[in-house]
Amino acid sequence: MSMDDTYNQPTEPQMDIGGVRDDLPAQAVPTTPLQATRAAVAPEVAPQQPAPTSRRKFMGKSLAGMAALGGAGVAAAFGGVALARWVEHGGFTSPSQGPMASSTQIGHLLRRAGFGATPDELAMYRQLGFNGAVDRLLNYQQVADDTMENRLKALNLNLNSAADQQRWWLLRMAWSQRPLLEKMTLFWHGVLTSSFHKVGGRRFYLRMIMQNQFLREHAFDTFDNILLGITSDPAMLFYLDLTKSTKKAPNENYARELMELFTLGLGHYTQQDVYEGAAALTGWHVRGLSSRYFPQDHNDLVKTYLGHTGNLDYKDVITILANHPAAPWFICRKLFTFFAYENPSTDDLKPLVDTYVESGHNMGAVMRTLLLSPQFSSAQAYRGRIKSPVEFTASVYRALGINDDSVSKRLPTFSTLMGQTLFDPPNVAGWPGDKVSALWLNSGTWMTRLNYIDFLLASRAGASDGSTPLVDLQSVVNTHQLSSPEQFVDHFSSFLLDGNLVSGRRTQLLDYFTAQDGSGRRGKPVSLTNGQSYPLGRVRGTLYLMMASPEYQLN
Amino acid sequence: MKLTRRAMIKDGLLVVSAGMVMPAIFSRGVASARAQALDGSRMAQTASDRTLIVVQMAGGNDGLNTVVPFTDPLYLKMRPTLGIPETKVLPLDTRLGLHPNLQPLQKLWHDGHLAIVEGVGYPNPSLSHFQAMDIWQTLDLSGNGSEGWLGKLVSGLVDRDGHPFKALDISVQTAQALQSITTQVPTVASVQSYRLYPDPVDADGGNTRLQALMKLYNSYPGTAPYAALLDTTALSAQDGSRQLHQADATYRPAVTYPKGPFADGLKVLAEAIVQGLGLRVGYVTLGGFDTHANQAATHDVLMQTLANGVSAFYSDLAAHGKADNVVVMTWSEFGRRVEENGSLGTDHGTAAPMFILGNPVNKGIYGEPPSLSSLDENGNLKYTVDFRSVYATVLDRWMGASSKAVLGGSFGTQNFLS
Repeated sequence: MSMDDTYNQPTEPQMDIGGVRDDLPAQAVPTTPLQATRAAVAPEVAPQQPAPTSRRKFMGKSLAGMAALGGAGVAAAFGGVALARWVEHGGFTSPSQGPMASSTQIGHLLRRAGFGATPDELAMYRQLGFNGAVDRLLNYQQVADDTMENRLKALNLNLNSAADQQRWWLLRMAWSQRPLLEKMTLFWHGVLTSSFHKVGGRRFYLRMIMQNQFLREHAFDTFDNILLGITSDPAMLFYLDLTKSTKKAPNENYARELMELFTLGLGHYTQQDVYEGAAALTGWHVRGLSSRYFPQDHNDLVKTYLGHTGNLDYKDVITILANHPAAPWFICRKLFTFFAYENPSTDDLKPLVDTYVESGHNMGAVMRTLLLSPQFSSAQAYRGRIKSPVEFTASVYRALGINDDSVSKRLPTFSTLMGQTLFDPPNVAGWPGDKVSALWLNSGTWMTRLNYIDFLLASRAGASDGSTPLVDLQSVVNTHQLSSPEQFVDHFSSFLLDGNLVSGRRTQLLDYFTAQDGSGRRGKPVSLTNGQSYPLGRVRGTLYLMMASPEYQLN
Repeated sequence: MKLTRRAMIKDGLLVVSAGMVMPAIFSRGVASARAQALDGSRMAQTASDRTLIVVQMAGGNDGLNTVVPFTDPLYLKMRPTLGIPETKVLPLDTRLGLHPNLQPLQKLWHDGHLAIVEGVGYPNPSLSHFQAMDIWQTLDLSGNGSEGWLGKLVSGLVDRDGHPFKALDISVQTAQALQSITTQVPTVASVQSYRLYPDPVDADGGNTRLQALMKLYNSYPGTAPYAALLDTTALSAQDGSRQLHQADATYRPAVTYPKGPFADGLKVLAEAIVQGLGLRVGYVTLGGFDTHANQAATHDVLMQTLANGVSAFYSDLAAHGKADNVVVMTWSEFGRRVEENGSLGTDHGTAAPMFILGNPVNKGIYGEPPSLSSLDENGNLKYTVDFRSVYATVLDRWMGASSKAVLGGSFGTQNFLS
């Protein structure tokens, strides 16, 4: 729960400023992601031997302290490095070994470039092969998403309410057939962020949805267009005080964060650049749900900004930033960290940076390079990040195929108690866990994750109808003809855990499923198709354990 | 002797890995409870019932409108609309007074329980929220540190009884100040949510499932990703939730706390102290101080939230006979620009005052309010007190720790504690 009970009190919108959003910078129609300019690298396993690690490195910035807890040693801190040994035991299968991508590889892709998968989705994407799956994810316009849109429409959500906004987006993540589009939107929301607490007051929370739709429509556009759009976005104009910036008294808030947090990072600008940038960015006003640039309210003095001199305006600022040599490294590092693993090397980032330059700053092209890189499919990436609260919330809901109004009302609360409230980042730097995923996990958030699973499994479908379990395991057993405890565990493991459970741990789950100690006798038993019945608590308890397991906390 | 991971945690300390040396946090050289026991158990008992509560004011609190230099004509000149006139200020002495919504703190001042350290900052200040927060929490002036100063302190604390709550953060995310390489700090959003719910169909109240769960964590390969984090998280949750709920069942606050998450959090910290959970370091955050525009209304509410929450906390402890054992310290990553901006707000600044309160505190103003006429090149205050000297005072004189070991150097002390 956020402690920010008075976080950034809403400011009042400017009134009586006419105009519509008609003089906004030209924004290109979302472009089809370009083909990566270099030959696509067939993803393959690149097991890495754990490198000798000095204490200095261990203590360095590159690590969250908590990730390094305990006697497990240094290697564990690096998330994926120690998995090399596991890979040697056949963890990853290279696609070159067969026409169909391995379930591990596709499972990994769909977790990172989406929110996990149902068994059917997993099978469909496997049929496409890894490259085909990447194509489908990137070329999302070719995939219809009407079912989701219709389901959302039927909910009649109030998109001016904070809770319904969160629910609306979490359900998109759980239901969308364009999972990478939602994931990329989430990435941008964590970088070019705003909070409903400061977008002009309670009557204008809808501005957050407008910002969200902008980020979705332009998720794979050029960085320039994305920056132009977010600079003129009504929610952002309020969030970082450009609505309060006047030509006589420029407000430096947006000018600073635009450089520090959105494009360049510390060390690439001076306080003088903040002042000059603030002057260049003046001229914006918001009315209702639209924003407008008023040349007469723009500071027309000559400015020198990051070495460029002239009567600069917001378009010049964005052009200078998007072409700044630090920008591709900055944004590609964020992208790589979010989608692959933390602390990428210069070598890891170089292909992304090259693509950025060669494609004219096209983020879709950069994304394709990233997804097809050997690093993305490496052992270091596999289970190399802790699932974020939003990923956890949406992916359980998605994998179990849940669609229930009374239950989905609770999703925002669970996500908040896990440590992430959509449309309400802790501050303008977004969520620290996006950068260091170990920060997502602590005793309190861990218990909420498990309580969420427990809640879903113990819930009944529909608020009043008490007869059907929300997750009807008997029906799953019948549909998939599960005839033994082994088949039950393997079925769920196949799409929840990539079928990748070390044998001893599979045995632990089977032991729990089959134990005859008298507990768990309440509720209607589940009958496997071999005729054997097992107590409900044991059956769904096994599924609980699979999603409560250490492995499932990882992405 | 090879300890299991669990045994090491039970011992109040995790052994990290070969080659890592535990810093000698405590002047008495405590290494671990086990080592202590073997060593004839000379524990640092003197400080063991003392608690430090740290209140983070996130976003950059406007120090000049918190502790107001109301007799300096430059103050109102540079803040023609935001300045608080002398008639509204709550005077502390002839120069300084409190924001009008800090009446509860003025009462603590009159009662002799409030100290203010003026002009707190550090060399070459950063105007970036995030670098400044890093510096205040990790003490790495490059802003690249990872281990927090309180994390270092807590990881060196020995608790023979294995209390999981020697430190407690009220949040959904552990503060960077509390990050350490060896110890995980319980992070509690609310007492109610700090438990594992059983499946109602399990007739044994969930015990069997919980055991199977803990086994999955305990047997998770130590070389697998995030193994230690996952394992210690599960253990901390299991032990901590049981203790917290036992404590909660019989805790009765002596005062009515204000509504809202800040006071709710302070209530949980009071509960941990009163119910003897072994709390040594408590942490709670109040956010929203980044007042670039229309500052007055926001800041007024924040001052009220701060003062009323802390005051209720103090009164609750006093009524339970614990006020002598607790010191509260506030901090914020920076103060704000002296001159107000054109948006009825203030931009990122530098030095600012800190509050230290509690019965053990020596009332007074420490340090020197920075001059309003001698500003740096950005129009910001020049600091007069290094924040590390405030930390050192709390560490040496209250927590019984070695500030040199925690802070990595000597930065002097202040006299707000004896």
